[in-house]
Amino acid sequence: MTPGHTPAEPVAQAQPVGPARPVVGTQPVVRARDVTMTYGDLEVLHGVDLDIHRGEIFALLGPNGAGKTTTVEILEGFRRRSAGEVSVLGADPERGDDAWRGRIGLVLQSWRDHRRWRVAELLTHFAAYYPDPRDPAELLALVGLTEQAGRQVERLSGGQRRRLDVALGIVGRPELLFLDEPTTGFDPEARHEFHVLVERLAREEGVTVLLTTHDLMEAERLADRIAMLVGGRIRACGTPTELARQAAARAEVRWTADDGTPRRERAADPSRLVWELHRDANGPIAGLEVRRPTLEDTYLHMLHRETDGTDGTHGTDGTDGTDGTDGTARAA
Amino acid sequence: MTNAWRAGLQRGRIELRHLLRSPKEMSGHLTNVVVALVIAAYVTGHVPGTHVPMAHLLLAGFAAYLLFQIGLVNLPQILVTEREEGTLLRLRATPGGIPAYLVAKTLLVVAVAVGTLALLLAVAALLADGPLPHGPGGWLTLLWVTTLGLLAVVPLGAAIGAVLPNPREALALIMLPTMGLLFTSGTVFPITSLPVPVQQVASVFPLKWMAQGLRSALLPDTARTAEAAGSWELPMVALVLSAWAVLGFLLAVPLLRRAARRESGSRLSARHRRAAQSGALPG
Repeated sequence: MTPGHTPAEPVAQAQPVGPARPVVGTQPVVRARDVTMTYGDLEVLHGVDLDIHRGEIFALLGPNGAGKTTTVEILEGFRRRSAGEVSVLGADPERGDDAWRGRIGLVLQSWRDHRRWRVAELLTHFAAYYPDPRDPAELLALVGLTEQAGRQVERLSGGQRRRLDVALGIVGRPELLFLDEPTTGFDPEARHEFHVLVERLAREEGVTVLLTTHDLMEAERLADRIAMLVGGRIRACGTPTELARQAAARAEVRWTADDGTPRRERAADPSRLVWELHRDANGPIAGLEVRRPTLEDTYLHMLHRETDGTDGTHGTDGTDGTDGTDGTARAA
Repeated sequence: MTNAWRAGLQRGRIELRHLLRSPKEMSGHLTNVVVALVIAAYVTGHVPGTHVPMAHLLLAGFAAYLLFQIGLVNLPQILVTEREEGTLLRLRATPGGIPAYLVAKTLLVVAVAVGTLALLLAVAALLADGPLPHGPGGWLTLLWVTTLGLLAVVPLGAAIGAVLPNPREALALIMLPTMGLLFTSGTVFPITSLPVPVQQVASVFPLKWMAQGLRSALLPDTARTAEAAGSWELPMVALVLSAWAVLGFLLAVPLLRRAARRESGSRLSARHRRAAQSGALPG
């Protein structure tokens, strides 16, 4: 059905191991410019810009109601945007045809379909829709469901069901894979195996992954780049380190003072603080620990700054305008 | 498109196999047949003014009702359930998935309709000297009334399935009018025994005409004296059923397209949350 479609392996071999770097001069896999979304009077997205490059694992984070789902569904072609430009794999998702669909894989949270089907039967059936599908048996081995091949879908555990969803999402060798809260309800081992699988798809096969998650550890573990969507705008975007810098999140330095009391201090430049401590102590420091800011620190910091920032602006407006008038009124 | 056809036929075959292996669903379809046979066995007497056993009129009526029910009760229920579970969304996200889905469902509905109809007539004929078409003309009528009857109710059922809210409410919303039509369309007793206004209302809907068409195929020609018009009115049967078929297609195409277009992950989650809150869906 797609004569121009080729498997992604050749690209994958050209990819360096480790975080993918955007290849200069190539068109991003996902490109959004100034995308807005309005439901009636309510504007949910106020101009979202995104660039996601081939082979990249990109995480979209944000509190509930920030517009994550809306953004992802616009990219998936399931929702019409109100304004802005979107290109996904070189096409506008609103006009994506079957060939375009065949290059995209989807793993959603809420699928409970095909309960009566057997695992291998379902995977083999969905392979039939694609021009160059993966081998269902190999795929079952890849997601660790070989033993469950003959089982009915409704008899799978939650984690097994999600892994089957992943297998169905990649059976057509997608170039772009959407993962929506993929590891909710996984035990730690299943989560780890899932992470290894996603990394393998991106690093070895050049699959581009767009991950939405509430699990910040997961985002930090997997994502090359992370975008934070707050209040319908991308507030920050970059590698976890870049985000920490953007958020001005500080590393935490802990040590034990001479009198035995534990001390902690946050520092933008922990190296300088440690050097100063050494200089003051003129020797080793008991219980020294430097913790770099986790993504959670960055995220919460950014979220608070966002809220405070907004309040701050209002406060300033208030002081200049309303409060002043009120003040005058009270004075009078 | 070839992929979609192949996948659709494969899908239809697999779904049919699942149906045949599902005791719950099979018993649902078989119950209809058994109920029809049991009632026919207990009914005595003849159609007024004829030598045709009342049981034959009843069996022909039930045959029409079986087709009617498959199109307007079973199909919408399947569509609503599969929409709620995410089957429709998964196929929407799959290249050629929606055409394949429609091919599969058509195959499934036709197979179930023909299967139950054949079973009803065969068992009735074997065990109770039930009605069978007389001569090639009768078989031909049986064929075209069945085909046109399915064309009248299947697209309409698909349209209903595209707009109904969820499987639980869907059943309640469909069953009441369906049962109403079963008793007012002359399927289980002669239509002439009903008040004229009721007859007039029932004659707007396809069931009366499906039953009348099947009676013309299954009962001897003398039985037409018991019809409201004193004849089988086959041109009218063809006309009304065709009109419903056209209306059904006109409604089904945009409504199914809209239903498929509206599916997205967040809508699916929202429905699951509501269903979980009402305690109707496990997990």
